[in-house]
Amino acid sequence: MKAVLIPAFNEEPRLPAVLEALRREAPDFVPIVIDDGSRDHTAEMALKGGATLLRHPFNLGYGAALQTGYKFALRSGVDLLVQMDADGQHRPEDLLRLAEGLETGKLDLVIGSRFLGEGDYRMGGLRSVGRSFFRWLLGLFGLHVSDPTSGLQAMNRSVLELYAEDMFPSDYPDVDVLLCAHRRGLRVGECAVTMDPSPRASTLHAGLAPVYYVYKMILSLWAASRTRR
Amino acid sequence: MSPEERLEELRQLFLHAPETESTRLIAVGLSLGLITAVLLLVRRRTLRAEYTPVWVLVALFTFALSAFPPLLTFVTRSLGAWTGSSAIFFLGHLFLVAICLNYAVRLSGLTLQVKNLTQEVTVLRAQVEGAQPRAVGAGAPSVGEP
Repeated sequence: MKAVLIPAFNEEPRLPAVLEALRREAPDFVPIVIDDGSRDHTAEMALKGGATLLRHPFNLGYGAALQTGYKFALRSGVDLLVQMDADGQHRPEDLLRLAEGLETGKLDLVIGSRFLGEGDYRMGGLRSVGRSFFRWLLGLFGLHVSDPTSGLQAMNRSVLELYAEDMFPSDYPDVDVLLCAHRRGLRVGECAVTMDPSPRASTLHAGLAPVYYVYKMILSLWAASRTRR
Repeated sequence: MSPEERLEELRQLFLHAPETESTRLIAVGLSLGLITAVLLLVRRRTLRAEYTPVWVLVALFTFALSAFPPLLTFVTRSLGAWTGSSAIFFLGHLFLVAICLNYAVRLSGLTLQVKNLTQEVTVLRAQVEGAQPRAVGAGAPSVGEP
């Protein structure tokens, strides 16, 4: 079974269009929406869109919402899972390309990269510096990816089992979990995708959040680098 | 007399300067008050018994230092401090850092447990209510709502 996991927090205005696009472009994928304690009608929109809905009783964070989906997918017999954002930034047609990359059997985890294709995705100066820095850090561990912070990823059950473990962060699962997967011997690859700018400002880029993000990622990378193969 | 010798003499004066009786009485009262507070909190079920040993030990240590001045002098000498009050201040600071770190570790564990428990409830509820992954358009949607 193939599924697409969509963590959602207050995404009532944007979720219907995402589910509609999924129905059109990727009808074979089962949409699973994790409502992470939304205060709007995200859950109702998910049901209206025909998704399987899981609801957190309160907000746990982006990473925890993803992990709830991984645990549910594991118990539901999902063999191939693609995760995408609920804000419409990721394009459903790219799901198929990521899934194809996985179905060759040569990879366990495929990252949708904004920087491999013909897209004109533009990243701000500081974010671009941060991405290059983390790319370089991952390269030190032998993992070479062009877009380590992409949230659009396809994975098989081996990755799901790893991501269901306690090491998976509740807030920002990013380069640290990629490194964990790499250190565990899982095969990580990339596929060119097109992404639109997020329709709303990310809280990750507001105030002191970027400073905390960099600090936390460096610490998590160090912890992940201790992961035994 | 060299400056070093004068400093040492001054230090000895500080070390042997007796604490005032009122200071000692306040310290004894505080340590007894701490033990009483701990016992009352346990009796009211506000504080779990497994969290009490550290506070009882602190109270006993404070009581011993205030009730037996030579012990305080010994601790002060051992730490290289000049006065008993600065030695106690230093030890108190160390204790607070250690206890905060200990609680941060316990809090991290509890946060993980709450997250895992919430996820488990969410997934189980979904399964109990019959939420089965199915392709869009393959029937009625399903829900798992805590």
